Amino acid sequence: MTNLIETRGLCRTFGSEETKVTALDHVSINIEEGEFTAIIGPSGSGKTTLLHLIGGLDEPNGGSVTLSGSNIADMSGNQLSDFRRDHIGFIFQAYNLIPVLSAEENIEYIMLLQGVGAAERRKRVKEMLAMVELEGLGDRRPSHLSGGQQQRVAVARAMASNPDIILADEPTANLDSKTGISLLEVMRDLNQQRNMTFIFSTHDEKIMERATRLIYLRDGKVERDERK
Amino acid sequence: MLTFKLAFRNLFRNTRRTILTSLLISSSLIVLILVDGLMLGMTSVMVGGITHTLEGEAQVVRKGFRNNSEVEYTIDDPASVISQIQVNKSVEGFGPRVIIGGMIASSYNTTGSLIYGVDAKQELKVSRISDAVIEGEYLSGEPREILIGKPMAELLEVELGDRLIITAATVDANEITQELFRLSGIFEFGPEEMDKNLVFINLDKAQSIFGMEGNLHQIALRFIDPEDSKNPELPLFKQLTNKENEALGWLDLQPSIGTMIEMTNYSTAIVGTILFLLTSLGVINSMFMSIYERIYEFGVAKAIGTTPWQIIQLVLFEALLLALLSCAFGLTIGYLLGDYFSSNGIPMGKMEVSGVLLDGNLYTRLALYQFVNFPIYVTLLTLAAAIYPATFASRIVPTEALQRAL
Repeated sequence: MTNLIETRGLCRTFGSEETKVTALDHVSINIEEGEFTAIIGPSGSGKTTLLHLIGGLDEPNGGSVTLSGSNIADMSGNQLSDFRRDHIGFIFQAYNLIPVLSAEENIEYIMLLQGVGAAERRKRVKEMLAMVELEGLGDRRPSHLSGGQQQRVAVARAMASNPDIILADEPTANLDSKTGISLLEVMRDLNQQRNMTFIFSTHDEKIMERATRLIYLRDGKVERDERK
Repeated sequence: MLTFKLAFRNLFRNTRRTILTSLLISSSLIVLILVDGLMLGMTSVMVGGITHTLEGEAQVVRKGFRNNSEVEYTIDDPASVISQIQVNKSVEGFGPRVIIGGMIASSYNTTGSLIYGVDAKQELKVSRISDAVIEGEYLSGEPREILIGKPMAELLEVELGDRLIITAATVDANEITQELFRLSGIFEFGPEEMDKNLVFINLDKAQSIFGMEGNLHQIALRFIDPEDSKNPELPLFKQLTNKENEALGWLDLQPSIGTMIEMTNYSTAIVGTILFLLTSLGVINSMFMSIYERIYEFGVAKAIGTTPWQIIQLVLFEALLLALLSCAFGLTIGYLLGDYFSSNGIPMGKMEVSGVLLDGNLYTRLALYQFVNFPIYVTLLTLAAAIYPATFASRIVPTEALQRAL
């Protein structure tokens, strides 16, 4: 297996000198292609911050993040946007779909950014909806979908760009147990069928049970790193 | 297409706000069309008042006559000038005149006056003397006819048929001459200066009593296309202007009116600028409210790879749609109101502007540029006003925006 993500001495602090909070303190990890990794730890341990830094949504105060051999600190704003668009899929706790677009259009949007042709977009949207078992609901707007259905659309959206990595921040936190398990099964299938790399930030035991690797964070430091 | 859908739907997330903002933008457009229409209407009345009342759209005079009105400054070779005017196809009519200052006396009173000797028939094509006659008859060519204004008639205490005596110096011998007339008509142009001072008699009679047979002080012109009169390079002007004579359009004859028209253009520009500034603030405010409501969406959009420039494009596209919707509404209402006021007018009462009486209603005048240029300005303005909010949206930091979503 090849190293897909590598963080070296990653540090992130928030606030001014007096109110300084250290979210990450010299975090160094390697994530290999095809891993189904859960980053776990108590609230405030730095899980989401680590995901944001890996996804290039935030800038570290120290250290580096290398994705597929590219150091994201060397990328300009637009290069980083393009990199995220083409290599990283995001799934958020609050789904964060665009409310004025239908499920289909939410999935299509990222492909539009990639410049995928209309026919190919339609084909892939259909595939994605089938993959997350939402056939027939593509024309519904998020407000007409349940939380679980919205999160499935979010998964489909994250998958639509054919990313190398999916970063999922507490994806099951707002879902009931049954829906959460169903969604996790979808993601686990994708991981196994397509060898897609998943990194979760979570408290959810269901994710921990299915993860192939658990990284424990405490006070911004890696406390334990277990592979199953 | 998806960007269009996204922009369109974003616009109607908050329908009330969009409608209010659209009303603000369209109101500016409507007001601009109406103000400009009124200015055009007023200018048209003013120019018409000047050119059609008495002055004509252009005049041929002896060089120097306009400055000192010396009676000796008669047109050089008037017969030749008239024959050139007669064959010119752009001229609709011309009025040969002599103009002399003199005294006019009745049995009761005496007053100074400016006596116009006019060709009764030709004058019908150039001025509105005939239309201004409110009592009696317009000139018919009968030698002792005389027309005076209503205030002068009141001052002289005369009625139709009463005797009036004109006293003036002859041009050829500079001797005092007197001539008896019978009041044949009383006119009222409106501007008091004209009604108090002007007197019209027949041209032949005037030339005869003032000793200026065959001579003229002024030839007033009216063109088939009034725009010709504004062109200082008009071939006829060049042709009639020589060492002795000059032919000038009304803009050169009445430079103060030209300045006034320029000022009305500035007024429209100032009104437009104020409207545009207010509208810009409204648009900026509305766009910011819309962006603040969607801040987490912009965060998500950036997180999944939308570039700052694509965010700017989306916001500007929303502004463009808003502008287009507003323009469609504004143009419709602007046209309907403009059309209504161009037929029915806006009651203004009586007012005199630069010696021209604006009486009663002021009518708007619609022009194509109001419906082409103004919407373009409004659209560009809306886009310009949206640049700041769009730039703000493009700079939203995804991590901060995503925290707001939780």
